[in-house]
Amino acid sequence: MNNFQALDQTAFTFISIYLSTLIIIGFFGYRARQENTLKDFYLAGNGFGLAVIFLTFYATQYSGNTLFGYSGMTYRIGYAWIMCIHFMTAIIACYLIFAPKLYQRARRFNYITPTDYLQHRFCSNSINIIVTVIMIFVLSNYLLAQLMAMGRAMQGLSSADPSIAYQQGVILLTLIMVIYGTLGGIRAVAWTDVIQGTILIVGLIVLLFVLFKQFGPISLATAAIQETQDFSKIDVPDANRIREWISYIIIVGFGSTLYPQAIQRIYAARSEKILRQGLAFMAFAPLFTALIAVIVGIYALAYVPGLEGNSSDQALTRILSIIQQNSILGYWLTIILYAAILAAMMSTADSALLSISSMLSKDIYNRFFDVNASEAKLTLLGKLFSWCLIIVLVWLAIYLSDKASLLKLLDRKFDLLIQLVPAFMLSIHWRGSQALPTLIGIIVGVFISLWLAYGSFDFVHEGKIYGFHPGLIGLIINLLITVFGSIFINRCK
Amino acid sequence: MKKHYWIIAIYIFFAAIGIPWYWPDNINYIVIGFPLWVLVSIIVSIIASFFTAFILLRYTWDKEKDLNE
Repeated sequence: MNNFQALDQTAFTFISIYLSTLIIIGFFGYRARQENTLKDFYLAGNGFGLAVIFLTFYATQYSGNTLFGYSGMTYRIGYAWIMCIHFMTAIIACYLIFAPKLYQRARRFNYITPTDYLQHRFCSNSINIIVTVIMIFVLSNYLLAQLMAMGRAMQGLSSADPSIAYQQGVILLTLIMVIYGTLGGIRAVAWTDVIQGTILIVGLIVLLFVLFKQFGPISLATAAIQETQDFSKIDVPDANRIREWISYIIIVGFGSTLYPQAIQRIYAARSEKILRQGLAFMAFAPLFTALIAVIVGIYALAYVPGLEGNSSDQALTRILSIIQQNSILGYWLTIILYAAILAAMMSTADSALLSISSMLSKDIYNRFFDVNASEAKLTLLGKLFSWCLIIVLVWLAIYLSDKASLLKLLDRKFDLLIQLVPAFMLSIHWRGSQALPTLIGIIVGVFISLWLAYGSFDFVHEGKIYGFHPGLIGLIINLLITVFGSIFINRCK
Repeated sequence: MKKHYWIIAIYIFFAAIGIPWYWPDNINYIVIGFPLWVLVSIIVSIIASFFTAFILLRYTWDKEKDLNE
């Protein structure tokens, strides 16, 4: 986030007021609670209306990191990153596979956590614990990445010493997030998502028009890239990139639907009609978010040359910096967008934190240590787990601040999440699906994915096999074990 | 929704058109500022979004029969 003009006093005051309102919203969320139960704290008593369900899905799915990452990726590989609007649309299409049945079951059997479904479907503690561990690992990694992004954002915005600004950013923003999260639970998280999502959508659309006004139409940007003679950024992608495109559609499409916080939002909808309408709006979100991030990347490629490697993730900030310096509208648009991006990081992080706390409390403590624990006790424990976990993650975020490559190495979230497809999507449609092969399938799938990703193989380039994510290879073997194992067990019965 | 296999077929069709595997390497038409293959990908994505919204709004889930019950 270097090269961004540090905020002046007015802008800092605006962002401070904005962040303070999040705590006030947390307090209102606390006041709005109807009972001291897990269902009320984690699902708002299944009471989300259309606007809340849409915007909470939106703010959870599109983090500030996504905006920086997508514009940066476009800067690196050019127009080929248009694939991101395909895989973000694929997420909503993949919901069609299992959300209808899962929603009905959640309503009938009062599910709170994702593995409540698995426990009910398979009656297997082994599946429950392995899926919970995978989900908590993936979410903790995801949460850590968001905390580090929050620190880097503050580093870029503040004129203070970079390392101090980073630490202050991580601690302050995390503190605000945990306070409103533990006060108001999912209500506070979703209500803040409404504000954050609205500002982000409006800000991005205004940004698009400001871009056109500042730099001219996209045709000029494309022509400017052509003039650099770097045709790889414009030409039709090669075969490897095409395979990568297909791989992304499958792995992100299926993997993202299995984020625990996304599954809990399916549970939390007030009615089936509202959930369907919310997802229908979400089908258009890639067009006004991912596509705009790609366009920003193209403008940066044309007008901000020279960003190499990881510094290409500064594409958005460099473009905002130019806009900020050129007009009052640009100045305020940048401030509001930065507030929204900071908050979008927080909204993604708080959803992940809340999901982890619900799984630690209900799936681990309640199921294995105290089956008779009261709802009030479990809710309180969930809050305590949030605080304990976040203290560890804040320490890690500060410790790993100059070791970003290490964090990147650990990030195989979609390769792991997609191994849960047979457990959730196959089992909900096929009653012949059995617990043991499903469990073995998950374990083997995870092992193969990680082995391929981290093993030193000649055929693995940039963590992919001929453009395909290792998780897809793991998934194929996982599915074969689940299907043939289940058929075998069913025939033996 | 019942087993609507035609929905899966349509999504596969969208992917087959939207992913630019069939374009020759040296094509460089620019249309309304985008390379033509990019424009086709964007248009397919817009159509896929409308189709997804249509499916979500057209079919209710309440009558879904749960085979696992």
